[in-house]
Amino acid sequence: MDPLELETNLARFLSERLGAKVEVHDLERNTEGFSQETFSFDAELPDETRRYVVKREPAAGLLEPYDLEPEFRVLHGLSGADVLSPRTPWFSDDPRVLERPFYVMERLPGEVPLPTAGASGSGPFTPAEREALAGQVAAALARLHVVDWQKRGFEFLGAPSLGRGAAERELARWEERIARAGFPAPPLLADALAWLRRSLPDAGEITLVHGDFRLGNWLVEQRGDGATLLGVLDWEMVHLGDPLEDLAWCSSELWRAGTPWAGALLPPEDFHSVYARASDRAVDAERMAFYRVLSVVKMIAIMLTGIRAFRDGRTSDLRMAIFDHQLPFLFALLALSRGWLTGG
Amino acid sequence: MLIPLERLIDGCLQTLREEVLPEVASRAVRGRVWAVLDVLHNLRDRIEEKREPAEIEARSAEEALLRLAEVLRAVPNPQAGAGILRALAEAPEGPPAARASALRAVLAGVIAARPEGLTEAERDALRAHLAAQAVRDLALLKPSLLAEISKG
Repeated sequence: MDPLELETNLARFLSERLGAKVEVHDLERNTEGFSQETFSFDAELPDETRRYVVKREPAAGLLEPYDLEPEFRVLHGLSGADVLSPRTPWFSDDPRVLERPFYVMERLPGEVPLPTAGASGSGPFTPAEREALAGQVAAALARLHVVDWQKRGFEFLGAPSLGRGAAERELARWEERIARAGFPAPPLLADALAWLRRSLPDAGEITLVHGDFRLGNWLVEQRGDGATLLGVLDWEMVHLGDPLEDLAWCSSELWRAGTPWAGALLPPEDFHSVYARASDRAVDAERMAFYRVLSVVKMIAIMLTGIRAFRDGRTSDLRMAIFDHQLPFLFALLALSRGWLTGG
Repeated sequence: MLIPLERLIDGCLQTLREEVLPEVASRAVRGRVWAVLDVLHNLRDRIEEKREPAEIEARSAEEALLRLAEVLRAVPNPQAGAGILRALAEAPEGPPAARASALRAVLAGVIAARPEGLTEAERDALRAHLAAQAVRDLALLKPSLLAEISKG
């Protein structure tokens, strides 16, 4: 489907939903997301212009097999909640519109600072921005974890049992993805998986878990002398589970942009303390240790899935191929976290 | 590497042909892109992965497995030690990538077969190899262009 056809079909789709003639302009494929296809565009109505984003299932990719609907139902159900999620009014799986399932959400302001190391090694934020953002990020995560998921009808996500249920289910989810990718597990991964299986921690609560809450999915207004968190994106891994899973993922070495700080914001222990105060929740060391290792295993599972899709020719997206030479970084993280390797 | 070199080159060819060329307006630059395509196309069937990294990995893994077999012989688990020696003997002698891959699988199998975890002595037998291999693999990485890839 060429861009003109995309614009025409989107305009027709929006006209039907908004009950007014809509023209679609400036449709652009975003480059940041590596999983779902993301397009931003302006919708011109008779008396105003609105800015939207479309998320469409890719033909193949990092989180296959894809099912956009649960993510849409959560985002739609969160509209109006104080969690900085974009309002998401429409979903369609009618292949006549955009060939594959998609949803439309309102475009939030702000830019997405990337989790990549800058030349100076200082990360994407000034000291004043870091100071301003750390509390906002921790507070946003804490607010997400108090969402009443039962009241909002999110039971369809499937609640794990209290105790080891959440950890068990997440480990099984990512082990299954690794197995499906079909590559033999190298020794460091085999060791991490064996350790995770015998280290399942208890969780005394089940909350909504974003699943990908981290630098790179935050919309931020950066002003040099301060910063404001304006949005939280990429909810495709949302589920019910242990809230500390989000905290560990967010603090992981994966998303520090070359700095030693969780989210390129604060030393991990300090960030955990800020979150603990914001959430009134103890940051349990045993659970954090488990989810710290699981974070790296999860990223390996995601990369192996993309590598498999590229290797088998189900996607021609070369961005999947770059993971092949990024895996050593993740294995080094596993070696560090499991004590095979010492140093930084 | 999990993706064969031929597949990587095919991916580069396809991206250049289907996604880059249609967006290039300058005839001069289009000519250069066609030249890149021509070079890559002809390179495709003439290259193979370097042997040296795999040779080093295989040697290092073999030493680690021999150390582990020795540790296992000294404790009441001689069968496991003998199993490792048998797996070592059955691993293909070459090419280096195949041997390294086979020994990697033996190591992973030994670890996975111990759900209760390795003892300290067993970990010590493997540590030098696993640590050095992680560092060797990292050393081959070029500076990441992820920021440029993400920003476009």
